Amino acid sequence: MNPGEKTAEATSPAARAAAPRAPASEPPRLTVELASYSYTPEGGAPLFTLEATSFVAPARELTAILGRNGSGKSTLLRLLAGTLAPLSGRVKLEGFEVSRLDLRTRAQRIALVQQETPLLFPVRVWDFVIQGRHPYSRGLRFENEEDRAVARQALVEAGADHFRGRWMHKLSGGEKQRVVLARALTQQPLLLLLDEPTLHLDIAAQVDLLRRLRRIAADRGYAVVVVTHELNLAAEFADRVILLDGGKTLRVGTPAEVYQQDLLQEVFGTLLHVEVSSRGTPKVTFIGKEA
Amino acid sequence: MMRRKKVPVPPALRWLAVVAVAAALPAFSQAGSPATMPAEPAARPQPVEYRDELGRRVVLRGTPQRIVSLAPSITETLFALNLRERVAGVTNYCDYPAEALTRPRVGGPINPDLEQIVSLHPDLVVATRSLNRQETVTALERLGVAVYTTDPRTVEEVVASTRRLGKLLGADARGEELAATLEERLADLAHRLAGHAPRRVFFVVWTDPIISTGPHTFLADALRHAGAESVVTTDQDWPHINIEEVLRQNPEYLVFSGTHPEDPQTLIAGLRKRAGWSSLEAVRAGHFAIVSDALSRPAPRIVDAIEDLARQLHPDLFPPPPTPAATPPSSRGGTR
Amino acid sequence: MIRPLTPRRLLLTCAGLGGILLLVVFFSLKFGTRSISVTDLAVFLFRTATGRGDTAASDFRLIILDIRWPRILLAMIVGAALSVAGASFQALLRNPLADPYVLGVSSGAGLGSILTLIWAAEMPAATPFGAFAGAVLATSAVYLLGQRGGDLDSYALLLGGIITASFLSALIMFLMTTISGRELRGMAFWLMGDLSTPSPVPAGWLVLVLVLGSGAIYTTAADLNLLLSGEQEAMHLGVDVGRVKIVVYLGASVLTGLAVSVSGAVGYVGLMVPHLVRLLFGSDYRLLLPATALGGAIVVVLADTLARTVVAPTQLPVGAMTALVGAPVFIYLLRRRIA
Repeated sequence: MNPGEKTAEATSPAARAAAPRAPASEPPRLTVELASYSYTPEGGAPLFTLEATSFVAPARELTAILGRNGSGKSTLLRLLAGTLAPLSGRVKLEGFEVSRLDLRTRAQRIALVQQETPLLFPVRVWDFVIQGRHPYSRGLRFENEEDRAVARQALVEAGADHFRGRWMHKLSGGEKQRVVLARALTQQPLLLLLDEPTLHLDIAAQVDLLRRLRRIAADRGYAVVVVTHELNLAAEFADRVILLDGGKTLRVGTPAEVYQQDLLQEVFGTLLHVEVSSRGTPKVTFIGKEA
Repeated sequence: MMRRKKVPVPPALRWLAVVAVAAALPAFSQAGSPATMPAEPAARPQPVEYRDELGRRVVLRGTPQRIVSLAPSITETLFALNLRERVAGVTNYCDYPAEALTRPRVGGPINPDLEQIVSLHPDLVVATRSLNRQETVTALERLGVAVYTTDPRTVEEVVASTRRLGKLLGADARGEELAATLEERLADLAHRLAGHAPRRVFFVVWTDPIISTGPHTFLADALRHAGAESVVTTDQDWPHINIEEVLRQNPEYLVFSGTHPEDPQTLIAGLRKRAGWSSLEAVRAGHFAIVSDALSRPAPRIVDAIEDLARQLHPDLFPPPPTPAATPPSSRGGTR
Repeated sequence: MIRPLTPRRLLLTCAGLGGILLLVVFFSLKFGTRSISVTDLAVFLFRTATGRGDTAASDFRLIILDIRWPRILLAMIVGAALSVAGASFQALLRNPLADPYVLGVSSGAGLGSILTLIWAAEMPAATPFGAFAGAVLATSAVYLLGQRGGDLDSYALLLGGIITASFLSALIMFLMTTISGRELRGMAFWLMGDLSTPSPVPAGWLVLVLVLGSGAIYTTAADLNLLLSGEQEAMHLGVDVGRVKIVVYLGASVLTGLAVSVSGAVGYVGLMVPHLVRLLFGSDYRLLLPATALGGAIVVVLADTLARTVVAPTQLPVGAMTALVGAPVFIYLLRRRIA
């Protein structure tokens, strides 16, 4: 599939909006091959290095990137988004290097949900969400029926449809999160990236969000990558986990494979207890008060 | 600019568009060609071209009967030339003679109301370079109004300007008479002052901050004629002076003109109490000279003010005045 | 309720505002030191529009076509230019308090103006060009200051602009106090914004620059909407942020330079009108830009008409009026909208 094809599909707007993507063929959606990065100030020692890492994030699956603060998660996310070009290795989406895509095509393929969304002027939810169609508009073309259909669908899937007439700045953290997700969905990307999306949410909202993400991944055929440090959520909802520590990729695999007690204790620097439930999902509990 | 779906335009909008376009038609030409002046009587005198004091062309048809003045000094001059009936409009600040207050006002000298001027149908507008703006003159000429600009920089030039204005406006005799009288008085004054050192003075335009006059202004020239020399040596026309500099120069007299809004007597009393000022010899000795604001107006009345000032600065050189008051200081705010 | 922006809504809003503008222009032509009745004016305009204008009395014509109309046209141009520039800078700098002068363009124009007055005193017609040149130089200087790694950085731009503005203003103050007073008399009015001086440049050219500058900015209108969420966000949505910033910066600076070289620094318009229009019509720049241009034209024409009639024959600077006219209206709208 080459960059031009995606925008040239010609079916009815509603159908296009709802149509699931074709099942991923053999190569996984997102492939990271020995990608590394480092920040170096002028003439100084490298401040931070993300060592060469390799993994895949298949379509229809939810992949979690786990690690402490400062472990390189955000840097890795930016490599995946294509905002940074890796110093070595490659990050490929459906075979195309993401950092080499032009901005418009990249926006049609990768959607990023960030932690903070600053809003300068009051804007309504609907107007915010439909901004996601921008990569598909030409010049000053106004939004058409197809755009609106896509946006409506996205709002429903993100669970934000019932407040689409409200002002953004009057929403709660969780509601705003859904709206930002809806906007990402209107981009109809191949890859959906989320940076610590559960940070400001209560437990119910966290679970709701991750359930939605799984459903979206399955229905729409997206590859979903979530950066988080919530161990149990990742264990419960992710199909695969990439564990980072100090710029190094320590382990890649299913949660059961990655969540080894010794490993986790070392990475997170605190006493932990890992149990495996009957379904095979690991559960992490921390050792609390000192004896 | 942008491509949009075609939308049917309601008829009302079309009408508005027509009006808008029509109204916009003059836009692409040079601000309209000079419109014709109101219809004039059949027998019109031939246009005669003059040069004003800036060297600009002024075209007049016959003797101007309706004159608009754009500066208080010009208004005074016109009245002094006995042209009172011909003064059709004055500025807001034209306060001398008292009759000037009865004439229609056209605004301030810097930003006069063009509409008002044009509505008065002047045959001539008289401006002066020291007070009016080039833009005003240009705008009036573009509207077809003749403008004559004076530019007297010294007292002698004021007299010459008065004479010239008299000639231009058909008041030759009166202009000559006035000019001759003024020249005689000035000569007389110079004679009296000859051989005597001029008084070193500090002319106080303003006290907070301290503003005085530089040597190249019209005012400085008037001071010289009055037997005074400004202690200010900087080149600027209206410099801000530090009190220390005033102290260093130690002028013999402080000169105030009636343009200061505060009553000079109150002002002087206040100065006696202020640090710095109170150390001045002139303040301690009570050597103040107060003249009317005519000193800063390039008009015939300046000679009165010069004589008054000379009397105050060199009392020993003059016989006692016949009447108790010379020219009483005017405390009304003048032009600034 | 959702009011999606459609071409139809855009057209209707602009037509509505255009209609108000025409009405305001009509009444501004009517009001002045010399009173003119509505019927006389309407008849005169109609005749002129249909080519039978010579029948009108000549000083009537003089006042309306040669005194009032050029001034009103200038007011419209200045109002539109400043409002569009203000709205653009607010998006570019992501700061609701930005106005067209925050980046030093007006100080540059002021300095250019003063220097022209000093060096070419015998050619007052050169002043607008000197002012525009000053504006261009200030724009370029701030542009260079705002560069960070080959890209226009909003923060650096803002800081560089403020510093440049203060520096140039200080220079202006210095010159005004040390140079002899007569040449700079008009500067006081200019610094407050003054429309009483007819422009030596034919209005057609001014309109052309206005249209070109605004048009260039308008091509980025959709991008500006996204830019308001942040540069990273906009980039992730496919906006070529670097290009947009340059186009908007240059376009808005040209518009500001245009306005300031013609009328001096008319204050408040560039800050207030975009906010006013936002309150009424929302933040979508595809509608905001044309609406704010029309709104700015309306405001400045109103303010100028008041400035020249309220205490006639004394003329007030239009900048004083813009604040007096706009602020109460703005407060009223603000209170109604913020529930």
